[in-house]
Amino acid sequence: MSSLLQRLGWQGALSLTVILIAFGLALVAPWAAPFPDQGAGAPSIASKFLPPSADHFLGTDHLGRDMLSRVIYGARVSLTSGLLIVAFALLVGLPVGVLAGYFGGWLDEGLMRLTDVFLAFPALLLAVLMAAALGPGLLNSIVAVAVTWWPWYARMARAEVLALRGQPYVEAAQLMGVSHPRIILRHVLPAAVRPISVQAALDVGPALLTASALSFLGLGVSPPIADWGQMVDAGRKFFPERWWYSAAPGIAVFVLALAFSILGDALRDRAGGRRDGSA
Amino acid sequence: MNRRDLLISAGLAPFALQAMSRWSVALAQDGSRIFTLANPTGFPDLDPSTSFSNDGLVLANIYETLTRYVPGTADAPATVAPLLAESWQASDDGMIWTFKLRQGVKFHDGAELTAEAVKGSIDRTMQIGGGASFIWSAVTAITAPDAQTVVFTLSSAQPLDLIASAGFAGWIISPAALEKDNAWFNAGNDGGTGPFRIDRYEPGQRVVATRFADYWGGTPEAGFDTAVFEVVEDSVLAQSMIESGSADWTYNLPFDNLDGLQANPELQVVANPSFENLFALLNTRRAPLDRPRVRQALALAFPYDDVIAAGTAGLGTRSRGILPPGIWGHDPDAPMVMTDLEAARAILAEEGLAKTGLELTLTYVTSDALEALAGELWKANLETLGITLILQPMSWEAMWELSKADPGQAQDILLLYWWATYVTPYDYLLNIFHSEESPIFNLAYYSNPAFDKLIDEAAALSGTDRAKAEEMFKTAQRMVIEDAPAVFILDKPNVHILRSDVKGYADNPAYGHVVFVNDLSR
Repeated sequence: MSSLLQRLGWQGALSLTVILIAFGLALVAPWAAPFPDQGAGAPSIASKFLPPSADHFLGTDHLGRDMLSRVIYGARVSLTSGLLIVAFALLVGLPVGVLAGYFGGWLDEGLMRLTDVFLAFPALLLAVLMAAALGPGLLNSIVAVAVTWWPWYARMARAEVLALRGQPYVEAAQLMGVSHPRIILRHVLPAAVRPISVQAALDVGPALLTASALSFLGLGVSPPIADWGQMVDAGRKFFPERWWYSAAPGIAVFVLALAFSILGDALRDRAGGRRDGSA
Repeated sequence: MNRRDLLISAGLAPFALQAMSRWSVALAQDGSRIFTLANPTGFPDLDPSTSFSNDGLVLANIYETLTRYVPGTADAPATVAPLLAESWQASDDGMIWTFKLRQGVKFHDGAELTAEAVKGSIDRTMQIGGGASFIWSAVTAITAPDAQTVVFTLSSAQPLDLIASAGFAGWIISPAALEKDNAWFNAGNDGGTGPFRIDRYEPGQRVVATRFADYWGGTPEAGFDTAVFEVVEDSVLAQSMIESGSADWTYNLPFDNLDGLQANPELQVVANPSFENLFALLNTRRAPLDRPRVRQALALAFPYDDVIAAGTAGLGTRSRGILPPGIWGHDPDAPMVMTDLEAARAILAEEGLAKTGLELTLTYVTSDALEALAGELWKANLETLGITLILQPMSWEAMWELSKADPGQAQDILLLYWWATYVTPYDYLLNIFHSEESPIFNLAYYSNPAFDKLIDEAAALSGTDRAKAEEMFKTAQRMVIEDAPAVFILDKPNVHILRSDVKGYADNPAYGHVVFVNDLSR
């Protein structure tokens, strides 16, 4: 633990702890939440709009549901969307960038101009348009954000592969007649993946923030699934009299996004990496 | 009617711009002479012949009808009062109606009100045949024997004085404007006789209307010179506008905030019963809701009391069938379904739908807090019966398009508000439950020839034998309740919020969410 502390610094270690706790709570939400059925959406009209108290640590919402339970269940949606957005983006961006960088020429030109088309749109606007076109739903909002995310990974991967392609060991492999797929998979990709994975870890925070923004605009999961962005929006109508409704999920988004950001900084300092201006 | 609830959620930036731009209107004049309405929806159509949506709020200040409906009080029954018509009489058989027009009424373009203009206005509305033009369906001929007299010939006895008071399709338009097309009216031009004329129209933003100097009806002392109809789709912004005094009137704020608003000495909260009610229309053309028993089970599973308590702060009331109280034909003894999950479970088991993993889609308007809450609570009840209700909030336009297309592909359940076009039971029964070849508002796609025949006959009788017609309308309602093409959720209270220095405000339930600005002063 002490070596990890040294390597990440205390802020990094603290952030990591916050993130791990969030993951832990999301995983065991049915046991961690004081009112698991309410966290999952069951209304309890009798306890509507109770302020924070010993029974309801973060108060209750317009359907009388315990906010702490809702926030814990909301972590599931937020973390899932953060991780899946980055995963989808990697799944598309990495192959595009690697192929473009490795083969160069017309393929490179074609793929990179396609990438430029996606980068030409403001990211959030494109995500909102995509989400509106696809309709509401968790998977749809994840896809909508991933569409704006992959070009950055394509560019990063291409740059890494371009540098690696000229390395003597790659050239040696090519001269020995090793097949292209094998060179890519065995010799190029492993070396390219490391800096990109640091960037990907860094991006989970902004990705879940963007997903929250979409659900704040009504383009995310449909109720009664707990979602932080949607909860902030629902509570806004009752602000400031029932401040706890918006405040609880708002602070949750803030803390988690901040933790990912600080952890990312710590990781980058350690890896000596660079910042690619993704979204 | 939900067609008037075109609420779309959006980001905050446009609202900030909107608030800024309002200031420019306020700064141009003495602020106390401006009446600002923060309306939760836009105004889809400002053509007085075809308007059938939230635009009624604007048009009611620009145009006038022949008569106006005056709601009943504890001491007096509802009546129809003169407006552009000074007096009228019907022939003994109720088939010929003669209206005498008011003298000295001028249109905004300077023309005099004449019988020809009245004939031309209603002819135009009937010829275009859009919007609420169905209200004139019994009219076979209109003549203008002299400049102040209009004679209507009907195909059946109808209460034409009441029909003429409708909140839609009854507006009288100046002869010059009659020749214009829909685009002309929607470019911010008008041809009315009302106390205000449209000065500026910014679609999706606002209508600015200024006082018409030659208005026949005069102005109250300390009345308003300008009416600004602001489109404020976000209830949070509407609330901050009314609290800060940058709006004078609004509605559709969350019921849960009314306590706080009532405690504010700068505001008056006016709550009245309304003619507006909320239905869940069940898709009768698609399995399994094509079976009445299954629809009855859904009605039994609806949490009526919880929705009224949590969604309307207790101000709503249970619906008794289709017609709200205050409309003749309302049936206070109509059977009322009570929430009974065990009974619902038993029916579903009989119908072979227990534990089949049934999924049903419910569509409702995105920003409507009451509809959202009804959906969430119903979903929770249905979950215990093994039915998954998929909540699909949509913009009203998108939702309506989907529901009008192909019933086989449409939603299973749709939430709809309705209020009277004019005060008659036929309006509700015809528009929501009469068979329609291509659906407009019969979004349960209900078709029952016996019901159709009964209400058509009752409508034809309304002018001559009201008592008989009322009985027939009640019978028809019970047919619908038995068939359960809809869940009758609640009668919605009208809650409007005004600045407390505004005097003279009275809500008229016949004109849903309409303010007659010329009645007000500060």
